[in-house]
Amino acid sequence: MLWLALHLPLLSLEAFCATLPAQAQPVAVALIHQHRIAAVNAAAAACGVRPGMKRATALALVADLRLADTDTARDAAALQAVAHTALAFTPAVTLHDAQTVLLEVQASLRLFGGLVALRQRLAAALAPLGHRVQMAAAPTASGAALLARWHPADRGDLVLGAHARQLSALEPLLDAAPVWLLGPGREHWEALQGMGLHTLADLRALPRAGLARRFGAGLLDELDRARGRQADPRRWLEWPATFDSRLELFARAETSEQVLAGASVLLARLVAWARARQARVGSFTLRMGHERQCQAQVPATELHVELAEPALDAAHLQLLLRERLGRCQLAAPTLELQLRCRHLVVGAAPNGELFPTRASEAVGLVRLLERLRARLGDEQVQRLEPVADHRPERASRSVPVQGTAQGTVPARPGAALAAVSAAASAPVAPALPHHRPAWLLPEPLPLAERGALPLLEGRPLQLVSGPERIEAGWWDGVPAVRDYFIAQAEDGSLVWLYRSRLPAAVDDAGWFLQGRFG
Amino acid sequence: MPILQALENLHPALWRAHQVARPSEAVLPSGHADLDAQLPGGGWPARVLTELLLPHAGVGELRLLAPALAALQRRQRAVMWFDPPAAPCAWALGALGLDARQFVVVRSRGGARGRARERLPAVDVLWALEQALKSGHLGAALAWLPARLPADALRRLQLAAQAHDGPVFLLRDAQERTRPSAAPLRLLLASAGPDRLRVTLLKRRGPPLAQPLTLALAPVLSAPALARAQSARGPAAAVPRVGVPV
Repeated sequence: MLWLALHLPLLSLEAFCATLPAQAQPVAVALIHQHRIAAVNAAAAACGVRPGMKRATALALVADLRLADTDTARDAAALQAVAHTALAFTPAVTLHDAQTVLLEVQASLRLFGGLVALRQRLAAALAPLGHRVQMAAAPTASGAALLARWHPADRGDLVLGAHARQLSALEPLLDAAPVWLLGPGREHWEALQGMGLHTLADLRALPRAGLARRFGAGLLDELDRARGRQADPRRWLEWPATFDSRLELFARAETSEQVLAGASVLLARLVAWARARQARVGSFTLRMGHERQCQAQVPATELHVELAEPALDAAHLQLLLRERLGRCQLAAPTLELQLRCRHLVVGAAPNGELFPTRASEAVGLVRLLERLRARLGDEQVQRLEPVADHRPERASRSVPVQGTAQGTVPARPGAALAAVSAAASAPVAPALPHHRPAWLLPEPLPLAERGALPLLEGRPLQLVSGPERIEAGWWDGVPAVRDYFIAQAEDGSLVWLYRSRLPAAVDDAGWFLQGRFG
Repeated sequence: MPILQALENLHPALWRAHQVARPSEAVLPSGHADLDAQLPGGGWPARVLTELLLPHAGVGELRLLAPALAALQRRQRAVMWFDPPAAPCAWALGALGLDARQFVVVRSRGGARGRARERLPAVDVLWALEQALKSGHLGAALAWLPARLPADALRRLQLAAQAHDGPVFLLRDAQERTRPSAAPLRLLLASAGPDRLRVTLLKRRGPPLAQPLTLALAPVLSAPALARAQSARGPAAAVPRVGVPV
């Protein structure tokens, strides 16, 4: 067994800082637990704030200290994202304590090309979450967790080295570890230190029976498990089938940029969750809880982002969200963000291309269309669909560019343009001669008349071809019985006009301009 | 003299005043031999703007561009239309050899933006066009831009077009011909009778062309109708004929 432990010493501090609005310069931040300072960041420590101080003392030292209570739910959500990231590398992931994630990676070494490469990829995958991570490897789970918590500067890298493989090499390392690693929450913790026990070796030198009577069997069990003398069964973490993560913002987010800064934390978690299944995100929903306005509850805003092509690129997801946010108007300042995702597309990601090819161009085009749709709306990005109908106003139909709107996700990359490429292989037969105009007016334009001849902009039109009778639509209630003519305008350009054969109303009588030959 | 000849070979961007430039990029033949002969490189230029100025939509501009667009579609390149002035008719495009289903039509959002929209009438279409050009995944772009544009908008588009491997056609009102423009190729289109198009080269990388070209477009009219139309364009054209030809 080869265990890799990820210890996050500043987890609760970092989880809180993610809810702060982006700052140009670092601000002093401290977390409070039961009226005492529990954690401080570097800026606060530089001003002399130390863990264990009282709240008033800390505020006396730094007037604009950002203080917040520790929140186990917030820490757990952040730790879960780390665990999800780890799930992409091995199915055997477990939470050791509130700040440590354990991975069993023996079976993954070959796939990822050894421990060095695996550590590199794991560190790269964890980077977007923005946590300080201490990593250590050991043949036992508790041993790895202890080493990761210790992480002494003079020991060098605790991932590589003989101790990662051999218990015999691990033991001297554990012996040198200080006793406080066993955890400050433990009973008799002060007594341990009061007895002058500094390292685990000191503890081990004591008689076992007496130690067990004095401090309980749990302490001995933990030591034995770390040294591989006792079985250490673990329950593996299960991958949740849906993603739902909340983030309560520290300050009110009034601009979409501020909302986006908070949402980027959630998006990084979403990507970690999807990557654990080697799946890609098909759509996601951002729910923004608003501040109460004038004693009235403002309903939460929900933004649903559908991707034409499932993606696993946080930058791309953020880009789409930015366009969507830019389009919507927020009713009130945002206090809380919630990101949900139920729609994953499982399957191998499309291959990247080294050189630009037709396939990579199609993927790029889909991304471009996605951006345009996110910003302008689905109705503004369309393609034309010919319809078999003789009435010109019905012969073409505009349809949204691609099919995810119906809830179907293209099964293969670039399939969003499938209709496009399929159409390319079967070109429209030029069945009709050129006597249909390329431009059709949205509404037929009534023309003035002089001597039974139509006028366009005060100039007479010269009828040169026609009539062509179109009589259709009696079956769907919008009948059209019209005689169409091609006419020449003053400057020689050709226009298409009609006269109703049997005008049903006064408005229908006379000449109408229907299109222009572009 | 040999020095001067060597000068042209120094760099593809150099040409002498009486010559037509030789663009280093591949051009897209326009499908009209008379026009190709006058365009630098023999076709529509890639990676730069091409401005087509027309008095109103429907002088034959689509029939002018259709051969080039059809060639792009045969190569499976995407063509996007930005803010077309009316609804394109899919069947008419099919008759021109174009597959309307392959076109993506992008329209700017209408109304609802109040005064800001009047001040910046084209903010949507300019943004969309710039993104499309920068992405470099398009075969060609056709954009109908409004008359009043900020001075730097065309320069921005010209910069964005450098990433775009294909022609960019900006279709604008003919009144813009007197305004300066960043586009290296500017053409003034006007109708020269039925199924005829008069093309004046306002600007190109080469010597000015005094005579406008007259191009024959894909015919709309049958031969008798064409004869009727041409006879009507004679001196008697001003007198409207009474009655309807049947």
